[in-house]
Parts: sequence; structure tokens; C-alpha cells
Amino acid sequence: MGMPSSTDDHQWSQQHLSHYVEGDLRPRARRRLESHARNCADCGRGIRAMRALVHAVQGIDGLAGVRAPATIFDRVRLVGSGGSPSSQHT
Amino acid sequence: MPPSAGRRGSGSADTEASLIARAQAGDVSAFERLSSWYADRLFMLLLRLLGDRGEAEDVAQEVMLRAWQGIARFRGQSSYFTWLYRIAVNEANRVLAKRARRPASVSIGARELQLPAAAAHDPSRQAENSELRRSLGEALAQLPPELRTAIVLRDVEGLSTQEAAEIAGIGQAAFKSRLHQARLRVRAAIGDETLIGIGG
Repeated sequence: MGMPSSTDDHQWSQQHLSHYVEGDLRPRARRRLESHARNCADCGRGIRAMRALVHAVQGIDGLAGVRAPATIFDRVRLVGSGGSPSSQHT
Repeated sequence: MPPSAGRRGSGSADTEASLIARAQAGDVSAFERLSSWYADRLFMLLLRLLGDRGEAEDVAQEVMLRAWQGIARFRGQSSYFTWLYRIAVNEANRVLAKRARRPASVSIGARELQLPAAAAHDPSRQAENSELRRSLGEALAQLPPELRTAIVLRDVEGLSTQEAAEIAGIGQAAFKSRLHQARLRVRAAIGDETLIGIGG
């Protein structure tokens, strides 16, 4: 079995950008991707874009502090007084 | 709300285990106390998945009802939080599937997303972020429910892959694959140059 071709490396790298950004690749796989990306502008840009995307999605949501509505248990209260949960029909 | 991790009421008189036991015996107030620890987070998740406050409020009530009706069958194989979140994801996906059959669509979370505080002082960055926020909201809204769930649970909610996969009801490898697909689609929608530009 021969060494993977550059095309193989490129396709494989493109398919593993997200895993790479997650830190999910094993050392050998990580080295393979990094080695390819050093000489591939497309994959290098892909890594930077993927990192920026994850950061943007994490940081742009400002829902912290949103409270659940006071009505959230209304339906439970409606049926709950009837008996134990095991007696309810799902 | 339980201590910061949101998992256990170790510092209070009621532990999660005791509240679960009482709820399983039919104690509604124990169920409400237990579930109220997670109510805010659960509601935020529904807002993120559905992008519509009215729908999120309706589904949140339904999630709590289903959790109450099913708590007798909760065996503790996952945490209560994971179990509750899983019900929420299933309910949200049911609503999204129903919505997909209708022509109109809501831009997910676009109105709910806010600027990071640091950027708000710089008008040009504020405009860029405002545009990015809108684009991200639209890109997320275009994702099929299972991909949207993956990116919301992992990237927005910040859950671990293991937790997120459990909530989505799939294995970790399958979850990572969905997450990858979701990120690729959002990346394509936003564009590499825009992303790299805001990434600095």
C-alpha cells in the first residue's frame, strides 16, 4: 500500500477540518492535516475560517439572562393534581 | 437554580436524587423544584432552536408536561438535565418539521442575538457584528433541524460532544459528522473572507 496522494490528503483534510478545530484528531492524523495545510492555501484558509466560525457562533449569542416564562409548569399543574406521574398517559 | 454547573443541588436540602424520587412518587412540587433548576437554560435552548418566543413558550410547557408524564420511567442512565434536554430537542424538532411543511419561515434567533459587549463601543465593529449576527441567524435558520441541533448544542450551548450526542440521541461519531456538516454549510453561507475578517 503506497503513500496517500496529495489529492487524497486534500480531500481527507477538507473532511476533517471541523474535527481538527475540535481537537478530535489523533496526533498522527493531526500531523497529516497540518503538514498538508502548510502547503495548501485552501485548507489553511479552511482552518482559519472554521476556527472563526466556531468563535463567532459561541460569542455572538447574547441570550444569557433570559428567563423561562412563569407559565412553564401550567400544563403540569393542570394534569399533575390528578395523581402520580405513573398514572398519566404519555 | 442549582449551583453553577446547573446539575446538582448539593448545597440545598433537596438533592437532585431525592427530588427525582419524590417526583416519581407523584409529588408535583418536587418535580417543579427539580425542573425549575433547568428551566431558564431549557427555554434558551428552545429559543435558539425555534427562533420564536411564542413557539418556544408553548414548546417549553409541552416539554415540562412530557417530562412529568415520563418521569416514572426515568432510570438515571443519563443525568436529569440530559434527559430533559433530549425531550426538548425532540419537541423542537417536531415543531420544526411541522414548520418546514409551511411556506413561511422565521429567522432563527436573529432578534434574540446580541452584540458582545466589547464590540459595542466601536461603531464600525458594531455594524460588522450586526451584519454577521443577521447572516449567522439566517444561515442557522436554513439548516435542517438535525444539523441545527448539532451546532446549537455544541457551539452555542457549549455542551461537550458526549453530552450533545446523548441529547441528540445518536453516537458521538455520528454527532461529529452532523456538526461538521452544519459548520460547513454555515461557513459556506457566511464566506471564508468574512469569517476570517471577524476572526482577526
